[in-house]
Amino acid sequence: MPRTTSGTRLLFRWIGNGLLLVMLVWTLVPFYWMMATSLKADQEIYGFEATLVPHHPTLAAYVRLFQQTPFMKYVRNSTIIAVSTTAVSLVFGCLGAYALARLRFRGRRLIARGLVFTYLVPPSLLFIPLFAMMSALSLVDTHQGLILAYLGFTVPFCTWLLMGYFRSVPLELEEAALVDGCTRLGALIRVVLPMSLPALAVVAFFSFTQAWNEFLYANVFVNSVEVRTITTGLTLFIVEDVFFWGPMMGAAFLSALPPLVVYLVFQRWVVKGLTLGAVKG
Amino acid sequence: MTSGLDPAVLYPDERAVPTPVLRARRRLSLTRRHEARLAYALLLPALLVILGLVAYPFVSAVYLSLQNKPVGAPGRFVGLANYAELFRDEVFFQTVRNTIVYTAVGVSLKFVLGLTMALILDQERRFNNVFRMLLFVPWAVPVVIAALNWRWIFDDLSGFLNNFLITVGLTRDIISWLADPRLAMGCVIAVVVWQGTPFYTMTFLAGLQAIPRELYEAAEIDGASVVRQFVHITVPRLRTIFLTTVMLSTIWTATNLQFVLILTRGGPANRTEIFPHLAYVTALGARRLGMGAAVSLAFFPLLVILIILLTRRMLSQTDD
Repeated sequence: MPRTTSGTRLLFRWIGNGLLLVMLVWTLVPFYWMMATSLKADQEIYGFEATLVPHHPTLAAYVRLFQQTPFMKYVRNSTIIAVSTTAVSLVFGCLGAYALARLRFRGRRLIARGLVFTYLVPPSLLFIPLFAMMSALSLVDTHQGLILAYLGFTVPFCTWLLMGYFRSVPLELEEAALVDGCTRLGALIRVVLPMSLPALAVVAFFSFTQAWNEFLYANVFVNSVEVRTITTGLTLFIVEDVFFWGPMMGAAFLSALPPLVVYLVFQRWVVKGLTLGAVKG
Repeated sequence: MTSGLDPAVLYPDERAVPTPVLRARRRLSLTRRHEARLAYALLLPALLVILGLVAYPFVSAVYLSLQNKPVGAPGRFVGLANYAELFRDEVFFQTVRNTIVYTAVGVSLKFVLGLTMALILDQERRFNNVFRMLLFVPWAVPVVIAALNWRWIFDDLSGFLNNFLITVGLTRDIISWLADPRLAMGCVIAVVVWQGTPFYTMTFLAGLQAIPRELYEAAEIDGASVVRQFVHITVPRLRTIFLTTVMLSTIWTATNLQFVLILTRGGPANRTEIFPHLAYVTALGARRLGMGAAVSLAFFPLLVILIILLTRRMLSQTDD
């Protein structure tokens, strides 16, 4: 009996290894193609000479990217918008989450419910009225307008996630601080926040990547080069149905780096944090 | 390892707290009214965001959908005319069918692949964390980049796929992946699955690792086969995670227009037209904001059921 079990175990192990290999190829080949394209000269990208592996690797596409396109401007705009969104969401989220986790007041449940509900309402439902709103407030083509729009989904998520985490901070520590004459805000800043660093990391990661990666709002609310972010800037490498694949893949590779690096740095907490809702219960 | 966030443990019951502490707490805490006032003040920014950036736009979407409003011009109230026009439109019904197929197939494939990957990564193996990290990468890069990259892979003349198939000798003809009415939807779904599977893997893997090993060991001793262990231990333990993940992902999949926008623009012959993209094209392509709002709202009833169910689930998991 044990012998057959270990036999099937071994079988499953090898099936597992095989499938893992297939999945790795399926996952990584697109990235290979992206990088290979960005390192080719045009002759190798198009037409009958097209190659699977760059025969004469060159950085020409990158040179073109930096010298002839507003790529750096897009990077700057994305950075401004993503960093601001993250900072504001963190502050709003911490304050709101503390109230929901620790204070008693009427409407607490309703507000918590409203937050989750809000987080789940998809942007593709809101972009049309938001566009009308932004036009009316002359926020079209401004950094502020885009940051504001992003807060609509980052703040509810941050507040909800932090609320769950703040509750896990032992009440006794906070009471000790309050006994020592700390105000509520003081207790939040000196006691609760330092103990919630993993949750803050998740929330910061989430806000930053959401803002950096967002496309729909950025596409609809922004037209000028001065404000355009990187995700929508990428699509401008398509001119009248002609694709400039070399520089575009170079730009795609470079602009995927920030969220990727942030993810690698934070991954330990991110996986825990983002699955929090799903794993519990 | 459920991340130590269980509210039942962490938000201690008043009755369980020793009396002296309780007395001190009462003495220290502000009066109820002060506490409420402070709470509203702290919540004000978040509330303004919810009301101003989600609730108000939502209501104004409903109002917009009752108007004939071109971009940049005042609207004219037309009642339900937009909806009436929509329900007479053949494209609308095709969009309904497409959206259902797109979402159902996409979500099912992500589920199957995600579960498979989670089970594989849960096996003991050297360098598992490296593999896990690599498999999660599609999820971390912007969707636009994923979609653009795949558009380039599918390119007729110089894309990777045709290039590769011809090199290996699997085909001699050029295949128009995204322009062929029979292939386009499949290709779009493939990209959706490529990008979305890691989220499933991630949640399922976290769930698997939370199952106590002893359960499997006991089953092993009782002579239960691997398949039986899966059916009787793994599946019941993951049921809640399955539900939450599928519901979240259904909302996200059905409402994401970036894949279609970049890969096919709804073509060929509306074969890949889905709701969010139709709303986008109507509002910004045809510049009919009112009609665009009507399109996205026509799809909302289905979504709202999911959103309400999911809100309840997500709250019951963190609320006291």
